[in-house]
Amino acid sequence: MAVTSRQREGFTMPELEYVAQCESVTIVPLHRMDRLELVRGTVGPFRPPQKTNVPLWLAVMLKRTNRCRIVAPTWLSFEHLRDLCKREEQPDSLFTRLPFHYLEIAHIILTHAEDDLVDSQGIRRLLQDLREVRQSKTRGGMEMLNPLQLQMDNLSAAEINEIRPLFRHSFDMLRQLDLLASATEDSRQQQQQSQFGELSYSEMDDVIGSSYPL
Amino acid sequence: MAKRSYYDIDDILAGQERVPCFLRTDLDGLGSAGSGGGSSKVHRNTRWTLPYWMADRLNEEDYLDMEVSPIFAKRANRMYAASPESMQLRAICQHYYQFGLQLGEMVPEIPHVLYNMYMTRIRKVARIAQQGHNVEALDFVQSLDKMEARMLRLCQQAQGAIIAWQQNRAYALKRAAVIHD
Repeated sequence: MAVTSRQREGFTMPELEYVAQCESVTIVPLHRMDRLELVRGTVGPFRPPQKTNVPLWLAVMLKRTNRCRIVAPTWLSFEHLRDLCKREEQPDSLFTRLPFHYLEIAHIILTHAEDDLVDSQGIRRLLQDLREVRQSKTRGGMEMLNPLQLQMDNLSAAEINEIRPLFRHSFDMLRQLDLLASATEDSRQQQQQSQFGELSYSEMDDVIGSSYPL
Repeated sequence: MAKRSYYDIDDILAGQERVPCFLRTDLDGLGSAGSGGGSSKVHRNTRWTLPYWMADRLNEEDYLDMEVSPIFAKRANRMYAASPESMQLRAICQHYYQFGLQLGEMVPEIPHVLYNMYMTRIRKVARIAQQGHNVEALDFVQSLDKMEARMLRLCQQAQGAIIAWQQNRAYALKRAAVIHD
């Protein structure tokens, strides 16, 4: 199968959305239904108005045929998102905790189950703000690039996918520069050592000790 | 010889940059290969510019002495270190970074110079990608070399992909033609 240039750099958004649909959400079924035995597990019998946990893809399917109502996840409420935004905007803070697929889940629920959310317009606005603040923080992460390691906790799948091409390339470049720097350093030390053949051992130690950059 | 990928086209193009050399032997019949062609015999002890890939091999065989390209000379390096963001890399050398990596074994300051240049410029590239073009960014974008331009394009595509998907433009599900009601 031919791989497009977009797919080579990471995932595409529809792929991430597809993977995000494995997460489970709580629904309130509207019709009675018996147990469903699926490959990943059993989805229990539906006895309205009892709440059940189902995978997101199933919830969307039921919602589109008007057989259920989706209960918004706890993090997808206006108050919670507003608190997260405030915490995120504080200077020098790390990324706040959010579900790994929060962007995709939020998008799916906003598209298919908007009536099950309270104040969906406000939620959309808050999500946009949150994303902008986090983006500016990833740019701050670029300042701390080094060839060895960079740790940024609590980034979500879509955000990682977004920065993947740039960071991957930067890491490669820095690593190559590092290798080059240490290669020239080694060859230069070898040259120095061969030149000081007549020095005594203590003098040689002094010279070599002073040429280390650390 | 630098250990770079053999099939990478950008690498090949980067190695095409000319470097000044100092010939040690006479070369018959090759006068038209260098600059200032005309006569077909090139005497020893003349200066000539050759592509890097050729000059490097001949340097190892001692047919000539290769010198550092003016792009990475000491004075140029100091100038670049002063203001990396305003350098017109596209005018200086379209494959600046890759050429620098290839020359890196010869000139020990190159990793440092490239590092400074890369870090400052790539930060600006990331900012432009995320905030969109504006008038003052246009000059900077026109001065990027090929690798940075590719990075800018990739970042913009990644940005646009998320936005398009959020506006439901990423894909459309249609009923297959084989399904009849």
